[in-house]
Amino acid sequence: MSQDAVRDVLDAAPCGLMRTTPDGTFLRANRMFCRWVGHDEAALVGKLKFQNLLSVGGRIFHQTHWAPLLAMQGSISEVKLELLHVNGSTVPIVINAMVARDGDARVHDLAAYVARDRDMYERELIASRKRLEELVAETQRLHDEARGRASYAEQMVGIVSHDLRNPISTIQTAAAMLRRDVAAAGKERMVERIARASERANRLIGDLLDLTQARLGGGIAVKIEPIDLHTLAAEAVEELALAHPGRKIRHVSNGCGECRGDASRLEQVIGNLVGNAVSYGQADAEITVTSSIDADGCSIAVHNFGPAIPAELLPSLFEPMTRGEASGTSKRSVGLGLFIVKQVSRAHGGTTEVQSSPASGTTFRVTLRGGELPPR
Amino acid sequence: MSIKARNNVRVDGDGPMTIFFAHGFGCDQNMWRLLAPAYAKRYRTVLFDLVGSGGSDLSAYDPRKYSSLEGYADDVVELVREFSRGPAIFVGHSVSAMIGLLADLKTASLFAAHAMIGPSPCYINDGDYVGGFSRQDIESLLETLESNYLGWSSNMAPVIMGAPDQPELRLELTNSFCRTDPEIAKQFARVTFLSDNRAQLPLLATPTLIVQCNDDIIAPVSVGDYLKQKLPRSTLRVIDNVGHCPHISSPGQCARAMDEFLEAEGL
Repeated sequence: MSQDAVRDVLDAAPCGLMRTTPDGTFLRANRMFCRWVGHDEAALVGKLKFQNLLSVGGRIFHQTHWAPLLAMQGSISEVKLELLHVNGSTVPIVINAMVARDGDARVHDLAAYVARDRDMYERELIASRKRLEELVAETQRLHDEARGRASYAEQMVGIVSHDLRNPISTIQTAAAMLRRDVAAAGKERMVERIARASERANRLIGDLLDLTQARLGGGIAVKIEPIDLHTLAAEAVEELALAHPGRKIRHVSNGCGECRGDASRLEQVIGNLVGNAVSYGQADAEITVTSSIDADGCSIAVHNFGPAIPAELLPSLFEPMTRGEASGTSKRSVGLGLFIVKQVSRAHGGTTEVQSSPASGTTFRVTLRGGELPPR
Repeated sequence: MSIKARNNVRVDGDGPMTIFFAHGFGCDQNMWRLLAPAYAKRYRTVLFDLVGSGGSDLSAYDPRKYSSLEGYADDVVELVREFSRGPAIFVGHSVSAMIGLLADLKTASLFAAHAMIGPSPCYINDGDYVGGFSRQDIESLLETLESNYLGWSSNMAPVIMGAPDQPELRLELTNSFCRTDPEIAKQFARVTFLSDNRAQLPLLATPTLIVQCNDDIIAPVSVGDYLKQKLPRSTLRVIDNVGHCPHISSPGQCARAMDEFLEAEGL
């Protein structure tokens, strides 16, 4: 075949064919390749290097990886690259390259074909891989969450069993003593003990039901109606003072006006917060319950003196089963008190906040914005 | 795990001095095959693979440790302590030049000299500094790496095994060149091309040779000039070479530059 005939065959070949010097300068390029990049052969030969026609990423890839590889191996196959067309568009190609000799000179022979489908397929694969990775991460997260819940449930059962056993054994002991014929005065004390222990057990069960409702039912149910917040707080404080003889509990009221809320739930909030103040506060200092009604809405705050809440406890303070080191008494709880306070506040459309420092003590404040009486 | 296995260390030659060859991004110690053997006649030579590249122990690749060049520099300090008798000569290609610099700054008198082949302290243009790339360019590289998954993992085997004019190249060798786990390649690319060690240059007290190619898109001539200006005890040699791997494409020129430098330093 004559030189021209060979050239015709190469030009007509259904792939890109190029010969370059070892530094990439074009010695030849067939018609197909020229069409892909939008240059005449004359514009390429002796003037441009193959790597000049690659995307920047491809150029770095060429320089750092496959050019040295080609030099060492003598040939390489299936390198995927992106060609830049003179009009700015890109053409994904796959090339094979081989070191060859042209007389005394070393040359590189390259063959390329367009690989749009492979490119698309690879992109899809990468996207699928990414999705899969996300899915695996999500599954892992759900798994961890489920495991967390399971261990939470186990711990909860442990604590509840323990905490229910105390009042029930009190009841049993008292009942056993009643069975024996005890004096009238002693009988009264036993009955009183039974009543208090039953109440404790009942309260614990109530808290658990609240937890279930808050977790599964989407929140604690409240019955919002017009209430007198100050009177409610005053009465609650009076009862709590009776229940905690030896502790000074004071009620302060600010402002006046109407308020809406669930009376028994708010009593529960005051009870829980004062209960904490008694357990964790300074024993000989006053506990103050403040009920406020102003333009911003209604709020209940409970303050006690004593050591600050440890900083590491703050982020999870309102989560179930968080509890501090109670001072003195060995009173235990399931750690649901503040969780329920927050849930009740939330059901009233309000917020719960805490401020705690060694100097000024600890204040829990519950707002009841949703409890505002709507203007008539 | 031994350091030897972790970094796939190959010790050869003998001499009073030890010379370390550290490959750059995208390759492994095979890159030194045209340059290192000559030095084994006069020096004890140590070739190794950076963790994550070539024949290194991939289980030693801790993405946290290697999230910056410091992790690699810590390895180099360990390598020099383990394999060098006395202060070492460190030949680093591309990113490994900077890894050598960082290793030097971590220790006192562990290094006698650095030969930096195609080094760059920062690949991204920044004000008056011309690194050669925009941040966008580097993002494009990272994307190329991602979309060329096969390019890294399948090691681009030769079309025809064994080059006709390189009979010394054994077949099993051709299959193991520069193989890189694509995920590692991706992180290493990020760490390499987003690195900026310009602030550390004036701190290097060790004599340093800069081998700069006159046509290299990865480390343009302006970068060599910048390094010469900032490295306190540096010699700049510009060699006639197109591309980023003169130790492969122009090993003779590389060796001449290195020999003259080592002789001048009395090493």
